Amino acid sequence: MEGYEPTIIAFVCNWCTYTAADLAGTSRLIQPFNVRMIRMMCTGMVDPKYVIKALLEGADAVLISGCHPGDCHYINGNLKARRRIKLLKEILPRFGFHEGRLKMTWIGASEGIDFARTIKELVVEVKALGPNETRKQMVL
Amino acid sequence: MSKRIGFYICHCGTNIAGKVRTDDVAAFARTLRNVVVARDYKFMCSDPGQEMIQKDIRELGLNRVVVASCSPRLHEKTFQGACQRAGLNPYYFQMACVREHCSWVTEEPDEATFKAKTLAAAAINRVNFHQSLVRREVSVHPDVMVVGAGIAGIQAALDIAKSGHQVYLVEKEPSIGGHMVQFDKTFPTLDCAACISTPKTVAVSQSPNIHMLSYSEVTEVNGFVGNYSVKVHRKPRYIHEDRCTGCGLCAEVCPVSTPSQFDEYLSSRTAVYRHFPQAVPITFCIDKLDRSPCTNACPNQVNAHGYVALIAQGKYIEALQVIMRNLPLPGVIGRICPHPCESACRRGEVDSPLSICALKRFVADRVDLEELPIPEITKRDEKVAIIGSGPAGLTAAYFLALDGYQVTILEALPVAGGMLRVGIPDYRLPPEVLDKEIRAITRLGVDIEFNTALGKDFTIDELFAQGYKAVYVGIGAHRSQKLNVAGEDAEGVMHGMEFLRRANLGELPGIPGRVIIVGGGDVAIDAARVAARLGASKVSIFYRRTRREMPARENEVEDALAEGVEIQYLTAPSQVLTMDGKAAGMRCIRMELGEPDASGRRRPVPVAGSEFEVEADLIIPAIGQAPDSLFLAEREGLSLSRKGTVETDPVTFATNREGVFAGGDAQSGPWIAISAVAQGREAAMSISRFLKGEELGAGREPATVPQEHFSPIPDDLQVQPRAEMATLSMNQRQTGFEEVELGLTEEQARAEAQKCLNCMVCSECLECVKACERNAVDHSMAAEELEVKVGTIILATGFDVMDPTPLKQYGYGRFKEVYTGLEFERLNNAVGPTGGQILMKDGNKPGSVAIVHCVGSRDVNHHEYCSRVCCMYALKYGHLIKEKVGHDTRVYNFYIDMRCFGKGYEEFYRRLQEEGITFIRGRPAEISDEPAGPQEQGKLMVIAEDTLLGRRMRVPVDMVVLCTAMQQRKDTSEVARVFGISQGGDGFFLEEHPKLGPMTTATDGIFLAGACQGPKDIPDTVSHASGAAAQALALATLGKVEISPTTSWIDPDVCAGCQTCIKLCAYSAIEFDARRGVSVVNEAVCKGCGSCSGFCPSGAARIKHFTAKQVFAEIEGMLDAI
Repeated sequence: MEGYEPTIIAFVCNWCTYTAADLAGTSRLIQPFNVRMIRMMCTGMVDPKYVIKALLEGADAVLISGCHPGDCHYINGNLKARRRIKLLKEILPRFGFHEGRLKMTWIGASEGIDFARTIKELVVEVKALGPNETRKQMVL
Repeated sequence: MSKRIGFYICHCGTNIAGKVRTDDVAAFARTLRNVVVARDYKFMCSDPGQEMIQKDIRELGLNRVVVASCSPRLHEKTFQGACQRAGLNPYYFQMACVREHCSWVTEEPDEATFKAKTLAAAAINRVNFHQSLVRREVSVHPDVMVVGAGIAGIQAALDIAKSGHQVYLVEKEPSIGGHMVQFDKTFPTLDCAACISTPKTVAVSQSPNIHMLSYSEVTEVNGFVGNYSVKVHRKPRYIHEDRCTGCGLCAEVCPVSTPSQFDEYLSSRTAVYRHFPQAVPITFCIDKLDRSPCTNACPNQVNAHGYVALIAQGKYIEALQVIMRNLPLPGVIGRICPHPCESACRRGEVDSPLSICALKRFVADRVDLEELPIPEITKRDEKVAIIGSGPAGLTAAYFLALDGYQVTILEALPVAGGMLRVGIPDYRLPPEVLDKEIRAITRLGVDIEFNTALGKDFTIDELFAQGYKAVYVGIGAHRSQKLNVAGEDAEGVMHGMEFLRRANLGELPGIPGRVIIVGGGDVAIDAARVAARLGASKVSIFYRRTRREMPARENEVEDALAEGVEIQYLTAPSQVLTMDGKAAGMRCIRMELGEPDASGRRRPVPVAGSEFEVEADLIIPAIGQAPDSLFLAEREGLSLSRKGTVETDPVTFATNREGVFAGGDAQSGPWIAISAVAQGREAAMSISRFLKGEELGAGREPATVPQEHFSPIPDDLQVQPRAEMATLSMNQRQTGFEEVELGLTEEQARAEAQKCLNCMVCSECLECVKACERNAVDHSMAAEELEVKVGTIILATGFDVMDPTPLKQYGYGRFKEVYTGLEFERLNNAVGPTGGQILMKDGNKPGSVAIVHCVGSRDVNHHEYCSRVCCMYALKYGHLIKEKVGHDTRVYNFYIDMRCFGKGYEEFYRRLQEEGITFIRGRPAEISDEPAGPQEQGKLMVIAEDTLLGRRMRVPVDMVVLCTAMQQRKDTSEVARVFGISQGGDGFFLEEHPKLGPMTTATDGIFLAGACQGPKDIPDTVSHASGAAAQALALATLGKVEISPTTSWIDPDVCAGCQTCIKLCAYSAIEFDARRGVSVVNEAVCKGCGSCSGFCPSGAARIKHFTAKQVFAEIEGMLDAI
């Protein structure tokens, strides 16, 4: 849809992706303004209900990003997250959410450039999906 | 209580205010629920900024604070501190990042301001639900561990030791010093590297506070800051550190040579070595890998690698001594063994296995056993009787005699040797060889009584009655299997064993006519070849399967065929035809192969109607042997197996009768001689323990020997043919029983032995044990596992030099005169491969040298970074070349930039320019060996563009030195995982902040020192290391540290006891309380990662400061406020 700016919530892990985001900032890598980050200690801390809450509250997409497999600061929290998100991706479409509204990536602490690129690509993808109509359609 | 929130947005000069309209954001915040005050200010992190917060807390009664500024990773602690000083619990504070994630990355001010508002709203909404939390204080263990003992680790360790704290210095090489001790001189002072580092290495060894754990590696790290528990694996040196004086006598006698890693593979070292003469610790080290496959394959564990290595050096007496440790019959076994060692020999992967068996025979023939001194024997009183003088009995007698016992061998035949004498023909095993080796056994005091047989002349009971304390039954397997056909008992049918025995004892002067042998094993072949020598007009072997199934050894079959023996396959006898009671021929039937039988070989099936008859004067069935053992069960009380062999314990060879042991063919059935020798040796050990009253089987359980880690096979080995010994010509063979195989010559033997790959490096020949005057060598030492408790850890694991082989244009590995920087260092070092002289591989001095900068560095294809030290060491090399080779040597530096940034560096550059080095600004495209004219013949051409002149050039030189990149160690990612730290994008360990935190990591309590964090020269490394030591000491001296309270807590009222969180926890921090039926978190171990809370279906598990309520509030704030 023309002229709509998606709002994307990103749950990022403190040790890797949050640091990468800081690095992207220090390096002044220009990014679209649509992504708001919520700092988690580890992607393993991301409860599926946070994703659902965000989508129900009207977020157009949710990004979860953490350390590369094998490099998790807490050994394997990111692997546990991957399992949860995989299941969640299968459930979401049944509730009317396009599975493209949930994305998981691995971005390491030194990968500021990858972070900026991921944000740009994600905004383009989510724009193409159109806005999340949940708030308009939800009956309380 | 009502929430009273104070909101502050920082301008950060123009960093935030330049894009975000901070006054707008503050005004917006003022409209949000519970916000009592909202301010914007230029620099919140400054003293006035913090004072502002504290003043508002006191005067406005704020109980929640939100600051929107830079990343919490920078200033969260600053503002939490401000709150705490004003009396507010620091966890009532939340930070929103509107700089790194907003003002610095958003182009449009409207968008930036909008985003800043949503982030502020999120933080404000969240902070409503914050709880007060108290940081835990834990004690910090005063000891420090430093991993890696290069100059960085050494400096850190010395600094810590000076403070009085204990430090564990772990180094994986046998001595400390890292790469620095490989250098010759150091820039810019041209100090000798060894001279400036040895005072430090010696100080390390003498400091009472430094526990040096050399030749050791860290395998596991558990715990958290202040309380680390580290597992250290100490590799065995096989030399006692407290006894070795470093005299080097062991290295002088070591026969094994292997490429020296310390010399960058430009030279070799012995298996027992130390890196250089001033090494700390001075203790030598034995490089020993998994047991060599040859020794491992030998049923008697004869140290094949050991004697081969000694033969290569011409040390034949020592080689024989190695063999005699396990085998008293070297000449015998060296002639008849089927050598399983050769089948395992890894040289077979290159060309062919070494002729190990022939080498054993060479040494046995070369050294007179009877000339060797008789070892000192402490006599014991006990008498042992050995029944049978075959290989098992002779070996048991030998080892028991060495142990001091009174040994008597009782032999049924008139001659000694068992199957070796009467089974194996003289042309394979000359009687003189056997006799000599038997004499070498009897001279130890062993008696042999002939013509006395068990069951006929004496019984075992009688032996015990005569005072023997133990008995060994080694009667062999001399009873031939019967054909079970009619006519078998006629005269003229002589079974294989009887035939060979009578021939060996000289009882068969000649046999006329046609001989037929039935069978396909070694006995059949031996009988055939003997019959041919005794004058038979035609010798035929009939075998019921095909050649592929014949159990006889391949070379024996070939020799038989060459000597005129005919072999008919798929033929079996059905009846012996007789005339006047004597054998006159055989009726046979052809066979064909059917289904496999129990042994896996295809069963022969008679072909109907294919009978035929053949004439014969002598028929020799040779279809198998078994021990003559029935009487052993009936009259001697020994239990037998189904096959008729004596049953014994498989490890101790004890029979069911106390004091009676058995071995050899009598126990195993017909098998190879070396196996009988092995069994005899094991039985001797058992008998000795039995007589001493010790447990027979202790420590003798069969264990699998690892066979994985061997010395790598070099790529550049030349294929060589296997040494083959000369053999007797056919003419000479037919006239008598002279030995057919003539043995290797000395030249052949030494050349063959030198082909050995030294699979386990150290061959355990034990020459070093003999040479060491302090008895410091101990080959039985084992690895040790240590667990050490420390409070902090410093990683100083150093760097690797990049291998320039992938940069094919420079020809490293193709051209022999292209060197890496570290290889060139070794050429210059006084204890290096050329004694400190700069020489080419042909021994000449180079007339011209090119030094190529930035090989693998500043290169998008390899490492983008600059390696920092190369420009300086390139200058150093220029100086060394001029000084050592001559001032008229031409030295060319091909550079991009000259980076001479440090103290004295620019002055050094000036000095080298004055010494006459040529500097060409241009990275070479290629190094070529193809001459474009006669003046380039035999030289390497550096093809480059001089970018200052704008001209292409070809510079012919004799030698090229590549300044290869400094890169991370190849095991960096494993090490990072063990310690829980990260690697940066460039491969080195990731520091907390490249400008302000180069020694700290994201993991509390773990610090970095030296090149493991990034390329550095020695002065920077020393500074960095001292800095890391200070960081560690800050924690260690304070003795306590605050741990974050953001750990997990499980609400026992909600928890249903599903225990899934317990399995999810990577730190095993959750336990199940069975009494209450709930899971409980151990806060001391919990790291607050959230794996449990992220899963918990009931919401009982929650991380403090990251609860669902708080996160939901943050989400709502972000999405609902505007």
